[in-house]
Amino acid sequence: MKYFGSGRSGAFDWFFQRVSGIVLLVTLFLHFYVMHFAIEGPITYEKVMVRLSSPGWKALDIVFLIFAVYHAVNGFKLIIDDYVHSTVLRAVTIGLLWVMGIAFLTIGIMTIVNLRVQS
Amino acid sequence: MAEKVTFKVFRFNPEKDKKPYYQDFEVEIRKPGMMVLDGLNQIRWEMDGTLAFRRSCREGVCGSDGLNINGVNMLSCITHISDLKPPIVIQPLPSLPVVKDLVVDLTDFMNKFFLVKPYLITYSPPPDKERLQTPEERKKLDGLYECILCACCSTSCPSYWADPEYLGPSALLNSARFILDSRDEGADERFEIINDRHGVWRCHTILNCIEACPKLLNPTEAIGELKKILIKKKF
Ligand code: SF4
Repeated sequence: MKYFGSGRSGAFDWFFQRVSGIVLLVTLFLHFYVMHFAIEGPITYEKVMVRLSSPGWKALDIVFLIFAVYHAVNGFKLIIDDYVHSTVLRAVTIGLLWVMGIAFLTIGIMTIVNLRVQS
Repeated sequence: MAEKVTFKVFRFNPEKDKKPYYQDFEVEIRKPGMMVLDGLNQIRWEMDGTLAFRRSCREGVCGSDGLNINGVNMLSCITHISDLKPPIVIQPLPSLPVVKDLVVDLTDFMNKFFLVKPYLITYSPPPDKERLQTPEERKKLDGLYECILCACCSTSCPSYWADPEYLGPSALLNSARFILDSRDEGADERFEIINDRHGVWRCHTILNCIEACPKLLNPTEAIGELKKILIKKKF
């Protein structure tokens, strides 16, 4: 029996939940390193914003955002697969998840792209 | 006076009872090394003949007396009373429909077992004698072939409780039993069935099945093995 939702087996979801998890772990430690060891203290708004406004960091942040949103949405999807079995409820919850995922992605990308040092 | 141990037993007779309840029995320890099953027999034979439970071989081979004892699934026939903290709470295997008292309906569990085609599938013509395999190939089946279908693992699994379609650790371990068998040629048709969101991908590595298995098998590892093969095939 197939439930409402994409017809994929779940292999992709399972594998990329792990891949995105590893990417998140790596970026977490990168963040930790950059914020606490690589910067000459104290950390100030200017120092952080100059770095975040550079194109390289923006690209990295967008990659991070994509993986983070994927990981979160996919995690919720797995929970829905576990507990929500009625077709209607699944349509509603998975639909909401899509809306939320796309919204977070859009807001996030807009924020990152528009970042600049404000004086 | 002989030492006594309290058994708190789950009782439910769907013809009479509106709700399940627990009944206390004082089981007398008459010899050292008494098993939980000996206690249950004592109750049925001497105190209350209406208590329903399954048992057959009484030595951990038939797999019929899987029960939830003090919160963990195990076989009553190979569990020493002295190893448990009294009072000993005895419930039917979780998540399955109760037929009466400790007897559960295993139809769904068995159907899922049959679904993974738990038998040798071959297409090549049979050799003159039996189909041979090397000792190394045979060794791969250790930890898989010993399953006695007691249902302790599947009914201990939260994914199995939550998703009525999930094949469960036992059926998946039994599919691995044949997929990893060098003589078997039915791997692809089995993968068709288990490569599904109600198959291997529903396993969230909760590890309850390992703790539950009375034969000390490792269904999680078997499922992990299957996931690995599937991921390698796909990516
Ligand atoms: S794997 Fe172990 S717990 Fe599960 S059905 Fe087989 S013998 Fe029982």
